[in-house]
Amino acid sequence: MMKRVLSVFLTIIILMSACKKDTQPEAEDPASGKISFNFHHYCDGQELIFDQRIYTNEAGNEYMVNEIQYFISDVKLVRDDGSYYRIHSWKEIHYVDTDIPETMVWQVYDDIPATQSWNETNSDGHYSGISFTFGISEEKNQSLMFVDPPESLMFWPEYLGGGYHYMKLNGKWLNTNDLEVPFDFHLGIGQIYHPNSGEITGFIQNYFTIDVQAPSFILFDGQEISISLVMHVDRWFKDPHTYDHNEWGGDIMQTQAAMKLGCENGHDVFEVLGVGLK
Amino acid sequence: MELGTFMISRIKYGLIAAVFLALFSCKQEDDPVPIPAGATPYIIEVPFGFPQKMNIPANNPMTVEGVELGRYLFYDGRLSGRTHPDSLMSCATCHRQERAFECGIDHPQFTDGRPHGLAGQETPHVMLPLINLVWNGNGYLWNGWVSNDNSVESMRRLEDIVWMTVVDPHEIAGDTSRTKALIASIPGYREMFKAAFGSETVTMERINMAVAQFVRTLISANSKFDRYMRGEEQLSASELNGFVLFTTEEGADCFHCHGGFGNPLFTTNLFYNNGKDTVFPGLDDRFAITGDPMDQGAYKATTLRNIELTGPYMHDGRYPTLEDVIEFYAHGLLWSPYIDPLMHHIANGGTQLTPTEKTDLIAFIRTLRDEDFLTNPAFGPPASLPE
Repeated sequence: MMKRVLSVFLTIIILMSACKKDTQPEAEDPASGKISFNFHHYCDGQELIFDQRIYTNEAGNEYMVNEIQYFISDVKLVRDDGSYYRIHSWKEIHYVDTDIPETMVWQVYDDIPATQSWNETNSDGHYSGISFTFGISEEKNQSLMFVDPPESLMFWPEYLGGGYHYMKLNGKWLNTNDLEVPFDFHLGIGQIYHPNSGEITGFIQNYFTIDVQAPSFILFDGQEISISLVMHVDRWFKDPHTYDHNEWGGDIMQTQAAMKLGCENGHDVFEVLGVGLK
Repeated sequence: MELGTFMISRIKYGLIAAVFLALFSCKQEDDPVPIPAGATPYIIEVPFGFPQKMNIPANNPMTVEGVELGRYLFYDGRLSGRTHPDSLMSCATCHRQERAFECGIDHPQFTDGRPHGLAGQETPHVMLPLINLVWNGNGYLWNGWVSNDNSVESMRRLEDIVWMTVVDPHEIAGDTSRTKALIASIPGYREMFKAAFGSETVTMERINMAVAQFVRTLISANSKFDRYMRGEEQLSASELNGFVLFTTEEGADCFHCHGGFGNPLFTTNLFYNNGKDTVFPGLDDRFAITGDPMDQGAYKATTLRNIELTGPYMHDGRYPTLEDVIEFYAHGLLWSPYIDPLMHHIANGGTQLTPTEKTDLIAFIRTLRDEDFLTNPAFGPPASLPE
């Protein structure tokens, strides 16, 4: 009896597995590739030379740059028709520090939508620009979200709005007394001060979007490409505003007017140097 | 000064390191090693806001037994390799828990907080406190000399500072072979080594490792300011005003180098020329390590935790009191081409704080004192030492 039950059971199993299933074509993995960003820093059109007072800005300040640290976030690869792919990388906020060479290369974690065709513009894989938030948006700029250095060292004091510096651009300039003195061109959340009491009554989110025109590029399936992004340091101090260190002094974290000028000048600070195969 | 104490020390350490490498050729690898059989992993609970990333070498995992052995060795004057009462010297001889594991200006043995070694030579620098070193990834000592960048492999880790202390003529002025032999001769220690390392064999490297494990447990994270950060306690009006001064550029702007709410280590562990001098011999500063001209006169920004107890201040102990330090930053900054770019107050000669503001700033800095850290028995001396 047991043998018969077992035989019937096994037969059912075999028949079930032998039934031809409705076959559907296996879905193909979408075409994807990888990108990395290489960060460069220029001044007056050439590779930035640190620690030497060889530059003069539009205001006539002779200055040097000692170090630069900044965040970019919400990076989008933009297509001709305005559609985009937003990098969802788990490290989507990238920190750049000119004292830490490893930060100059950002290997994006995502599988970036790619193409298998030359001809299909406005589709995955065909990109014509890059857009990102310089700094960190209000939604994301939360205190203590970075606890490890070096990112944690960018914290912006709670009293002044909290979160993190968007940028520290530190250097020195020759002031009107012919003394070489430091400037800390720091951008972050601004404050509104009561005109009488001097108390802080509100905060201003100074982060902004930068649209960087790039040569159109195609990311093919399985490809790895490298995008060289350059910050033109001199452009922080001009266009549309001439930024004068003698006017604003060595520290601006509590001077919204200065930070506003800097942020408005930032619209063309970045440029794509080139896109190439890795 | 012709050569400078630091250069002489460097040359001596280099020779000693070469001998050390030759003698102890089964040198540690960087490969991870498992916890010794029977030992209990020591888990560090990361306090609120503190870094998750810790500087614990893979080849010296922390264990309860290793930490305990390290505590005993830390406090045992026989680390000197000698038994005569006048020749005993341990880490704790200078690194006192009640002074945040620094010497302190009121050390009963060392005048004005300037230690000297068993041979009577004064140490060339004042000490740095042993606080939260498990989160220091930027080199040890005032110029970061002991770091992964050191060309000498045996001078890169916290572990290496132990044997260096044993042989340093300004400190224990001893001999690692003698230290090892003496510790190995004590049955009680052999048992502790067995528990910590799975073997009774005492080596200088295991002594290094155990002491380093203990030092990594020295965590200060329960000061009044920590409790304020956690919402458990309020600061006084003076302390709050001091906090604002500490954390604003138009105030004292301490935070860029010395941390704050977003960096509760209260140090960046980086190196700065903070405007103390105009002439830089370049023999013991950060420039002596990196060769970068902009590092002239730069030294490590110490943690401000428990700072009220760890005078005298600066790398050479030139300021006996906190008030002296605050006055220096207020009115005494000295310009040089190498002053750090974060020292923007140099344009005015200093922060120009008023007397009231200086009082408030010091009041805030005092909130970084952590009584738990200063009295925790887990960090203190054992009831008795092994025989």
